[in-house]
Amino acid sequence: MSALYQVLYCSRNRMSGGSKLVSDNIETILAISRQNNARDQVPGGLIFSDGCFAQVLEGPMDAVVAAFERIQCDERHSEVIVLRSGPIQARSFADWSMAFTGSSDTTLSSQLPISAVSEDGDAVLALLKSVVVRETEWLRRRVN
Amino acid sequence: MTVSLLQPTQDTHGRPRRPAAIMHLRSALNGLHLGLFTFDDALCVQFMNEQLRIVLDLSDDAAGAGSDLQTFIESSPILASTAVQQVLAACHDAVLTRRLKLLEISSNEKGIFYFSIRIEPLPDQTFLATIVDMTAQRVAEARAVEEAMCDPLTGLPNRTLFEDRVVAALDRNASEGVDGPAVMVIDLDRFKNVNDTLGHLTGDGLLRLVSKRLQGMMRQTDIIARFGGDEFAALISPAPDLQSVSLLASRIVDVLSRPYLVDGHLVNIGASVGVAVTPLRGSTYAILLRSADLALYDAKSRGRGTSSLFQPTMDVRAAARRQNENDLRKALALREFSLHFQPQIDLQRNVIVGFEALLRWHHPERGLISPMEFIPLAEEIGLIVPLGEWVLSQACLAASCWPSDISIAVNVSPCQFGDTDRLIDAVAEALAAADMPGSRLELEITESVLLQDADRVLDALHRLRAMGVRVAMDDFGTGYSSLSQLHSFPFDKIKIDRSFVKDRADDRGQDAVIRAIAALGGSLGMATIAEGVETPEQLARIREGGCKIVQGYLFSRPIPVEEVDLMIARHNSKKNTDN
Repeated sequence: MSALYQVLYCSRNRMSGGSKLVSDNIETILAISRQNNARDQVPGGLIFSDGCFAQVLEGPMDAVVAAFERIQCDERHSEVIVLRSGPIQARSFADWSMAFTGSSDTTLSSQLPISAVSEDGDAVLALLKSVVVRETEWLRRRVN
Repeated sequence: MTVSLLQPTQDTHGRPRRPAAIMHLRSALNGLHLGLFTFDDALCVQFMNEQLRIVLDLSDDAAGAGSDLQTFIESSPILASTAVQQVLAACHDAVLTRRLKLLEISSNEKGIFYFSIRIEPLPDQTFLATIVDMTAQRVAEARAVEEAMCDPLTGLPNRTLFEDRVVAALDRNASEGVDGPAVMVIDLDRFKNVNDTLGHLTGDGLLRLVSKRLQGMMRQTDIIARFGGDEFAALISPAPDLQSVSLLASRIVDVLSRPYLVDGHLVNIGASVGVAVTPLRGSTYAILLRSADLALYDAKSRGRGTSSLFQPTMDVRAAARRQNENDLRKALALREFSLHFQPQIDLQRNVIVGFEALLRWHHPERGLISPMEFIPLAEEIGLIVPLGEWVLSQACLAASCWPSDISIAVNVSPCQFGDTDRLIDAVAEALAAADMPGSRLELEITESVLLQDADRVLDALHRLRAMGVRVAMDDFGTGYSSLSQLHSFPFDKIKIDRSFVKDRADDRGQDAVIRAIAALGGSLGMATIAEGVETPEQLARIREGGCKIVQGYLFSRPIPVEEVDLMIARHNSKKNTDN
């Protein structure tokens, strides 16, 4: 297994339309990302809140770069800021692929770097980790 | 059977042919790697070998020996009708002239095929045609040519192939009325920085990522090319409406400016894009590319990181700029420059203590041209270095004739500090040629000089200082970091920018600035001089502010060298008689 690499970035949503439309779009993004990332062995967390994305990608460097390039060419966001990039010892997000929270979640949106200029990678990373639980809850809420 | 008609009863010497020899010949012909058939002068096929079926993709029940030539050739499913006509015409021609015919045909009816055909008259009124399948060879050749026209690093088409494709798109526009193409030239901003700091391998990796991002934004019919270095080009053909083309250009700037991960490094670069669309029929590749280049120049001059669509005014501006550039280059050779000198007055003693040398350009047609107009251009095209050296030598020569207590101030462009050794040599030469001590020369520099490569510049300033040359900071108070720069080098003089001297409604603020600068200069042991002094009121304010030396129209406009002696004599002796 080659060395593990991690990238954490924030970006700004460029999708327009009502919150329902944006939410549907994000579901599509999540579905495709889950597939791609599982195939490429690049699990990672994505949160969307209040107009901003934050995502972490982890895996072999080539795979992370390939996934990152794919994301960079996506028109649905802009102003991408990399908060952290470099080698890691172990995966923090090994068992799950994507998390999502809608913009209605005010507790989360208040914690996200709204302007996407935050240099505080640790905070975003901690936030992403905390969302793991939220994702399962969110899925359960949608199923019920 | 195939060979049933190839049964001549006699050999060429009139002897009866032996069946075994015929069998051998038949096997040999069938085993050949080229297709062959014979026909008579009535264009009737006599014989064909097995290989021909393969070469022309003939079915087993297709017309063969005994059929007429046309039916036979037409039965090949891979030959287009034009190719069939070419073969028939050649056979017909061979029958009429009884001469050897060679031709190469291509056909793209069912895939692409190339055949080399040879038709040779035989002594017995028959004709032998051989067909060699050249397809693999020609395709390989074409691929080799294509590969030679690709950039090995990114696999993108190079400049030559790009030109071919643009020309083809323009042709389709002219002949078929297809919408004309748009051409974009794309330059990466700060790429050199990546190469310099992270190495060429990382730079190469970055270029590969850039080319992939670019390709990802194109449609199937568009082409991305790499011209070399960090220069790319895009052919958008057929071009959609202008708004969509502009949107695409902005998108290229956006996507290329997003961060990259290369070899574990996080890399940020920018991009500038110049766009030209086909305005009218009759546009050429050269015109399109030049227009796109002008638009790129415009995008870069507007601060980079943006895209610009070609406008005809850019052409006019570029032409004017080129004209200016040519004129400027000539001017130095034709001695169209001259120096004027503006006196600097010591307020306490009321004597002229020095002159500032100011460059003038007398254009043969346009008259006097302001330095504000030509200095930036001279800096851009590098002419400022020889021009600056000329100013230094002329100013020192002029000053060498003046009283020894009068100094000469010369402006030095930041560009001249690009090669500090050359600058120091030029100063030394100017002083030596004028036989003048360095202490009489004062170099005026702006703070931007100290912003380029501070260590190298400071080293040069100290070396100049060691030659006795004095250094003044020009335009003080206009830059971002004037104050911090004052600590970096012990300047001899601070020249307060003229904007603080001009009358303004809130001149109390300006007075405070002048007072502060004069006090600062005093405490740091630096003289302060105010320029642009035009009225007695301004002079009173400056005097009150504590500034010791002044320069401006109130005392004298800049004067030609011939008038300097008289001015010194009048002013300084008047002062003497005043005493």
